[in-house]
Amino acid sequence: MTAELPRGHIDPIPHEARPFQGRPAGIVTRLVAAVLDSLVVGIVMTATYLGWCGLLFLIQGRSFTFPRPGVFFGLGLAFGIAFVYLTAFWALIGRTYGYLVMGLRVQRRSGKPIRFVGAAIRAGFVLVFPIGIFWVPVGRGNKSLQDGVLGTRVVYDWKPRPVRPRLRLEDETPEIESPVTERPITESPENVS
Amino acid sequence: MRLPVVDRLSRVPVPGFVRAAATPALETVTTYAVAAAEVLDRLATQAIAEVVRRVDLDATVARVDLDAAVRRVDIEAVIERLDLTEIVLKQVDLDRVVNEVLDGLDERQIAALAAKVDVDTIARQLDIEAVLDRMDLTETVLKRVDLVKVVDAVLDQMDLIALANEIIDGVDLPEIIRESTGSMASETVQGVRMQGIGADQAVGRAVDRLLLRHARTNGTPKS
Repeated sequence: MTAELPRGHIDPIPHEARPFQGRPAGIVTRLVAAVLDSLVVGIVMTATYLGWCGLLFLIQGRSFTFPRPGVFFGLGLAFGIAFVYLTAFWALIGRTYGYLVMGLRVQRRSGKPIRFVGAAIRAGFVLVFPIGIFWVPVGRGNKSLQDGVLGTRVVYDWKPRPVRPRLRLEDETPEIESPVTERPITESPENVS
Repeated sequence: MRLPVVDRLSRVPVPGFVRAAATPALETVTTYAVAAAEVLDRLATQAIAEVVRRVDLDATVARVDLDAAVRRVDIEAVIERLDLTEIVLKQVDLDRVVNEVLDGLDERQIAALAAKVDVDTIARQLDIEAVLDRMDLTETVLKRVDLVKVVDAVLDQMDLIALANEIIDGVDLPEIIRESTGSMASETVQGVRMQGIGADQAVGRAVDRLLLRHARTNGTPKS
């Protein structure tokens, strides 16, 4: 399925990817994106740890020793960083770094971008119950457990940047909406059957 | 000079002595006769010339009834013996005649003549292709046609945006831009994405077979 472009616009999507534009993404692409996002969280955690070490070194001087945070502290920190990271990027541009690399976008069932609260709930749900992603190939419409519960979906979207701002008022004119979001993916009879 | 009578006398079967006796006399007589004939001939010629000189031919002809004479002439036979067409073509200045005729016609008469002409029939007999071959249509168009107006009219009826989109889609301009400005990284990303989509479809089909479901369509284009 390819979305119709407004007059005078050039479709930046390659020919071979156009048939998939706007379709629900599968398990492999989403897992790769999740791994990339995990790496991002790991890099941020490492940077945070090193920054914390540097700060301690400045304070303690010669008596400085590398801090050894506990497992629960580390998990909590990772959870917090991941939560903020996922919530912010999903709410702002509808995609994290992993989603950007793999050409994915999270959106509401109606095709509109998810809002901040929705992004936060989805981020928390994904972090608490990450294996919900394995419901993608099993369920209908390539929905993960979180998608099914929260009414969201992850679609292929190779457009380089969001066409409209993510954090917009509901009464704003949708004239610069992405063609993909203008034409949400609807459940086809094959999907339901 | 030869004497005809003497020559003929030699052929007459008469006795030799008779011929010998008559010949001198005949020769003399014949000589005189010939001389007399020549004199008479000259006299007759002079007499006729004198008569002609003295006769007033104009007065004589004036006294002749020419009308009666002409009525007795077979005009049809005379005309049949003449090649009138050849005479007219050679002797008549046809251009002058035609010009005189045309000058004598007024517009109404010309219109009446034109109305009698079946232009359609004439047009049907025309070899249009030959006429067109003899014409330099390109030159005619360039000289006679306001090309700016024609082009403007054509452009007014065209959806240029749609045409431009079709051309851009045909030449895959985004791909050209990507190839000219993109990096290896973008090509790698594109390859990873396509491989990911392919893997998604493979996993989906495998799960469908495991679950004994019909082929899924999610993530799979219809065409």
